[in-house]
Amino acid sequence: MSAPRQALSRPTNTGQGADREPRLLEVSGLTTRFDTPDGLVHAVNGVDFHVDRAEIVGVVGESGCGKSVTIRSILGLVRPPGRVVEGTARFNGVDLLGLRAAELRRLRGAEIGFIAQNPFSALNPVMRIHRQFANILAAHGIRSDAIARDRARDALADVGIAGPDRVLDGYAHQLSGGMAQRVVIAMAMLLNPAFVIADEPTTGLDLTVQRQILDLIRGLVQQHGRSMLLVTHDLGVVAQYCDRVVVMYAGKVIEHGSVRDVLTSPQHPYTQALVRAVPRPGHPLVHLTGRLPDLVDYPAGCPFQARCPHAFEPCGQVFPEPTTSASGRTYWCHLSQEREAAR
Amino acid sequence: MTETLAADPTTVTAPKGRKPRRGRRRLRLWVPSGILAGMLAAAYLAPLPYDPAEPLPDTLAAPDGEHWMGTDKFGIDVFSRLVASAGVDIPLALAGMLISLVVGVLLGLAALHRGPWGERVVRALDVFQAFPLLVLAIALVALMGNNIENVVVAIAIINVPRFVRLVRSEGLTIRESRYVEAAHAIGATGPRVMFRHVLPNMTGIILAQASLAVAHSIVVIASLSFLGIGINAADASWGAMIQTGAQNMTTGQWWVSVFPGLAIFLTVLCFNAISDELQDSFGRARQR
Amino acid sequence: MRVLGYARRRVLFLPVGLLSVVVLAFLLVNALPGNPVGVIAGPAAGPEELAEIERRLGLDRPLWERFVDYLGGLVRGDLGSSYYTDRPILSEILRFAPATLELVILSLIVAAVLGVGLGTLGAYHKGRLADRGSRFVVTTFQSIPDFFLALLLIYLCFYLAGWAPAPVGRLGLMDEPPPAVTGALLVDSLIAGDMTVFRSAVAHSMLPVLTLGIYYSAYFARSTYASLVPALESKQVEFARACGLPERTVLAYAFRQARTPILTYGGILLAALLGGAAIIETIFSWGGFGEWAIDSILQLDMPAVQGFILAAGLGTLLAFTALDILVAVLDPRVRYD
Repeated sequence: MSAPRQALSRPTNTGQGADREPRLLEVSGLTTRFDTPDGLVHAVNGVDFHVDRAEIVGVVGESGCGKSVTIRSILGLVRPPGRVVEGTARFNGVDLLGLRAAELRRLRGAEIGFIAQNPFSALNPVMRIHRQFANILAAHGIRSDAIARDRARDALADVGIAGPDRVLDGYAHQLSGGMAQRVVIAMAMLLNPAFVIADEPTTGLDLTVQRQILDLIRGLVQQHGRSMLLVTHDLGVVAQYCDRVVVMYAGKVIEHGSVRDVLTSPQHPYTQALVRAVPRPGHPLVHLTGRLPDLVDYPAGCPFQARCPHAFEPCGQVFPEPTTSASGRTYWCHLSQEREAAR
Repeated sequence: MTETLAADPTTVTAPKGRKPRRGRRRLRLWVPSGILAGMLAAAYLAPLPYDPAEPLPDTLAAPDGEHWMGTDKFGIDVFSRLVASAGVDIPLALAGMLISLVVGVLLGLAALHRGPWGERVVRALDVFQAFPLLVLAIALVALMGNNIENVVVAIAIINVPRFVRLVRSEGLTIRESRYVEAAHAIGATGPRVMFRHVLPNMTGIILAQASLAVAHSIVVIASLSFLGIGINAADASWGAMIQTGAQNMTTGQWWVSVFPGLAIFLTVLCFNAISDELQDSFGRARQR
Repeated sequence: MRVLGYARRRVLFLPVGLLSVVVLAFLLVNALPGNPVGVIAGPAAGPEELAEIERRLGLDRPLWERFVDYLGGLVRGDLGSSYYTDRPILSEILRFAPATLELVILSLIVAAVLGVGLGTLGAYHKGRLADRGSRFVVTTFQSIPDFFLALLLIYLCFYLAGWAPAPVGRLGLMDEPPPAVTGALLVDSLIAGDMTVFRSAVAHSMLPVLTLGIYYSAYFARSTYASLVPALESKQVEFARACGLPERTVLAYAFRQARTPILTYGGILLAALLGGAAIIETIFSWGGFGEWAIDSILQLDMPAVQGFILAAGLGTLLAFTALDILVAVLDPRVRYD
C-alpha cells in the first residue's frame, strides 16, 4: 500500500531536472514546534539542506540550536508535545514526513541507520546484547535466531570487536564506553543502510577513543559508498571528517557549503565566531558572549542579532535572503547586501 | 529532543507564555479548597432544614422537594445529617493529620542525624508501615477505648511514618546541597541549619503529603465509623450513615448510603486534587 | 550465582524481621497506652473483676516475664487460644486464611490488569485525550472508599441488574461446599469436579473481587504511569525506535525498564490487602482472615488479635522478601550487597 504514495510523491523534485536521479536526502522548509506549558517552542524554523550520495555532511551549532530536533524530525522520532508543522524531507525522492508511521518505521534501521549519542543510555540495560540485535532483525523480517546470531557476529566483527560471542551474551553495563559505542554502531550498520545519521557519536567517550570511533564510522561509511549526516558541536571533527557542513543557529540554517569554504573563510558572523572559538596557534581565542534567543518568544528578523557584533538596522526586521557563491556555499546575512552595494 | 531544549533553561523561560498556565494552576488549587471551605462553613453556619439527629415519622422517604436526599430507616433527614457530618469528619481528619505532621517532621529531622539510629528508625517504620494500616487503626481504637479522642490518636499514629520518611529522604537530598554546606561552613549550628535551611525547602512537598494524609484519614475515619468504632452512634458521621443504609442497598433505597458516600468521595477528591497540584508545582512525581 | 548469595542473605534476614513483628504484636496488646483491662471489663466492673481479668491476661506479671512466656509459646507453635471460642489461634488462622488468599490473589490480578492497562494508556498517550481520560478514571477510583464502592456495586449489579448473587458469603445459602482440600473454594470445587458449586463460587466472588480490583487498580495505574513515562521518554526507547523496532516491541522495552517499581508496588499491595480486605470481607460475609480479625478486635479477643498481627506481619515479610529476590533476578544491574 506504500507503492502508490511513493509514486505520487516522486515527481515533485525541487530544483532537480526530471531526468536526474533525486538527491539522497533533501530537506526543505522543515519546521518543528513543541507545545510546552511555557509556550510554543520554535525549535526548528524552516530548515533547508541536502545530502548527496557518498558524502559526509556535518551539522554544527551549540546545544539548543535545533540540530538534534532536526534529525529527529527527519526520522519521525519527534514525540508530543513536539510536532513537525511544515516542510518536506525527501529521501530518494520519497517525502519521509508524508509517510505513514509503519512505512517510516520500516525505513528506519533498514535504509537509514542511527548512531546514538551515549551508548549506555541507548542500549537496553536489562536485555542481553544478542536479543537486541535479534529484535532489530526481527523488526525487518529476519526472524530466525540462528541467522540473527550470525548477522550480529558479522556486524560486531565489522566494528572491530574480537570475540563477539562474549559481547553478545552479556549486558551493556559489562562493556567499556568504546566497546558499547561499537555495539551501537554495529546495530546502526546491521541492515546495511545507504544513509547513516550520527548524533554526536563520541560525546562522553575518552579523547583517545573518540578518534578511533570516528575513524571507524568513516571507514564503514566510505567502504560501502554510504552517506552520513554527522551532528556535532566540534568544528575539529567537521574539518577532519566531513565533506560539507551545515551551520545552525536558533533552529535555522545560517550558512552551509563545503568544509573548506566554510571553515577557511566563514561568511556569517556566527560561523566566524565559531571558527574563532577553536583554539589555533597564533590566533587569539575569542569566545562568543550572550545566549541563544528565547525560542518561545522568537525574535523577528535575524535570530543572531542580539549577539552579533555587526548588527545593524535591517537585522531586527526581516530574516535575510540567502547569498550563494559560485562554489555553492550559501549564507543568510544582511551584511552580504551591504557588501554587494559597496562593490 | 526535549532534553536538549530543557538542558538550557534560558531557551524556555518565557514570562509571556507562562501566565495562562499559572492562572490554571491557581484555579486547580483554589477550586477544591473552596469546595472544602464551603462544606465546613455549611456544617457550622448554615441553618439545616431538619434536626440532624431527630427521627421523623417519615422513614425511608425517597428524595423529593421536602427531603432533598430522602430519609433513612429511622426517619432522619439525610441531607441535614450529611451536612452536620462534615463538621465532624473533616476536623477529626485535620486534627489527626496535624499531630502526625508535627511528630513526623520532628522525628524525620532527628532521623537525619548521622549515625546508625537514623537508618534504624526507618527500618522500624518499614515493618510498621507494611502492616495493614486500617486494621491497625481499628485495633488501636478498640484497645485504647472507643471514643473520638482515640480516633484522632490512631489517625495520628498511622500517619506519622509517611512524614518521617518524606522528611528524611528529602532532607538527605537537601543536606548534600551546596547552600547547606555553605551554612555549615559559616558556622551555623545543627538545629539552626535544620530549621532555617533544610525545613523551609521542603514545605511544599510536606504540604502535598499532608493533604494526601487528610484524604487517607477521611477514608479511615469513615471505615471506622462504618464498623461502628470510634465515633458515637449519636454523632453524625458519613461512615455511620453509609452503615445505616447498607442493608437498604440490597432492597433499593439507595439514597441513604449513596449521598454520604458521594460526600466522602468529593472530600477525598478535593484533598487528592490539592495534593496533586502542590506536588506538581513542586516538581516531584507523587510516590503513593 | 550472585543472585543466590543475595537470596540467601535476604532469607537469613527473615528471623530478624520476624522478631520485630513478634515484638510489635506483643507490645500492641501488652503496652498500649490506655487501659485494655478496663475496656474489656466494661464500665460496670468492680475491682475484683478487674484483678481477675488482669490475672487471666497475665498482666499482673512483669513485662519481660510475659514476653519470655509469649516467645516460649511461639517456639512450640502455641499462639494461645481464643477467649470466646477457646479454639487454638493457629488453627483459626489456618482455617480463615485460604478464603482471604483466594480473594486477595484474584483481586490483585484484576487490579494489576486494570491498573497497568490504565497507566500504560495514559503514559503512552501522555498529554493527549487518552491521558486525561485515564487520569480522570484513576482519580475517581482512588477517591471512592472501597466499602462504599462495594455497596454501590451491590446496588447496581445485584439489586438493579440482577447479574450478581446476594452478598451472603462465598457460596449461596443452598450450595453444598465441596470437601476442603486447599480451603480455596474455586480450587476445591474443581478438585471435586462440582461445576455447580464452582460456578456459584465464581459468581459470589465477582463483586468483592471487582471492588478490591477497581480500588487498588488506582495504585497500580499511578505507579505504572510514574515509571513508564520516563521510560518512554528515555534515549533507550528512542534508539529502539530509530532502529525501526515496531511500537509493540518499543513498549516492551519501556516495560522492561519500568517493571521493577511496578512489581515492588504489587508486593506492597499484596501485603496491604492481606488485612486491608477486612472491611470488604465483612460486607460480603466472606468469612476470611480479615473479617475474623475485625470480629476479634471488636470482641477484644487479645490472643486472636496478637495472632492476627503476627500472621499479617509474617505474610508481609515473606511477600517483601520474595519480591526483593524476584527484582534481583530480573535486573542484572542490581548490586547484591
